[in-house]
Amino acid sequence: MPKPTPSQTVGPFFARELLWQDGGKVLFPGHGDRITLTGRVFDGTGAPIFDALLETWQADAAGKFPAGGEGARPYGYGRVSTDTDGAYAIETVVPSSFKGAGGETYAPQISVAIFARGLLKALHTRVFLAPLEEIKDDPLARAIGDPERLRTLIAARDPGNPEIYRWDVRLRGVGEAVFIEL
Amino acid sequence: MAEISVADVHPPYLYPDYKSTRLRAPAQPLVRMAPSPLEAAGPAFPKHFVKASEADLTTWGKSAPLGEKMVLVGRVLDEGGRPVRRSLIEVWQANASGKYPHPVDDHDAPLDPNFLGKGQLLTDDEGRYRVVTVKPGAYPWQNHAFGWRPAHIHLSVFGNAFAQRLITQMFFPGDPLLAIDPIFNSVPEAGRQLLIADLDLEHGVEGVALGYRFDIVLRGPRATPIGV
Repeated sequence: MPKPTPSQTVGPFFARELLWQDGGKVLFPGHGDRITLTGRVFDGTGAPIFDALLETWQADAAGKFPAGGEGARPYGYGRVSTDTDGAYAIETVVPSSFKGAGGETYAPQISVAIFARGLLKALHTRVFLAPLEEIKDDPLARAIGDPERLRTLIAARDPGNPEIYRWDVRLRGVGEAVFIEL
Repeated sequence: MAEISVADVHPPYLYPDYKSTRLRAPAQPLVRMAPSPLEAAGPAFPKHFVKASEADLTTWGKSAPLGEKMVLVGRVLDEGGRPVRRSLIEVWQANASGKYPHPVDDHDAPLDPNFLGKGQLLTDDEGRYRVVTVKPGAYPWQNHAFGWRPAHIHLSVFGNAFAQRLITQMFFPGDPLLAIDPIFNSVPEAGRQLLIADLDLEHGVEGVALGYRFDIVLRGPRATPIGV
């Protein structure tokens, strides 16, 4: 059996190569209420990370995994970089929950991969677009247990604007987000 | 699946010799999860996502770029040895002088107006890919005194599942700078050779371009993670 190819960092020079025009506007074949997932990415000292690449992959508003694409873009997939403040924004729809092979229910969530200079491997995680009390049966929520750690993966709806979900990501140290090994 | 420990070949997050990892590597252990059905699927790239010309980085300008012309061929396979079909591969690299066309690249080396250093393609039904380019140059970086990155080509591979997503770097055989590169050496010894292309003259172009082979192996989309 062949051995997997080792991962290496994306490095500092990728913006011209990997970013797409409107890459943060996620397309779907159907409709759904559009929302914006936005926040900032921080390092272990609390400084914003200005050169991270975020990729998102998600179910649509009906809980279906999008197949195919439109024009020259795949459905369900978002790709953005952080800016000088460490900020990112993805315009998308709120995904529905979906079932696993064993009948388990995955709460509304977006799978995220983060790449950056200084990350020798992608950081994978899942961000929940539902409050704590609605995700308790999710497989990852159950695996984490500790509500304080689980909160690092919950995008909070902006009280002043229900179309905005805020999710900050701390890669290391106080408030460090939970990352997963798939 | 047989025992394939990804820990044998993948680098750790924290590798202090590569300074940027010190502030960005998570300090907490990762939570090991089986890929969700969502992560066992992935974005599908329409056939017309790429143009055939995008696999040739040497025809972008008005005339040929400077440097040693080369052809890079390989296959994308999963851990079971099965071809990974219609996977998007993106490649990017410095020019022959070791310079990227980026505002933040402050290396005092010339840009090449005929080289953008960016390409993409979809693998075919056998998982094969082929890229025409020029050999990138080495360049200095500020990680440590007299630090120079060995010549490398960046590859971004999607596979067919979000859990297969891989970004890596391909290096050249016999490069003396490999020994001093913390990014390359962050990979455990058992995995380092997997990042070095093989000279493959027959896939080059006689009298025109050197051939190199670099096969890429992604995790099997249905593989059960060890320990789950």
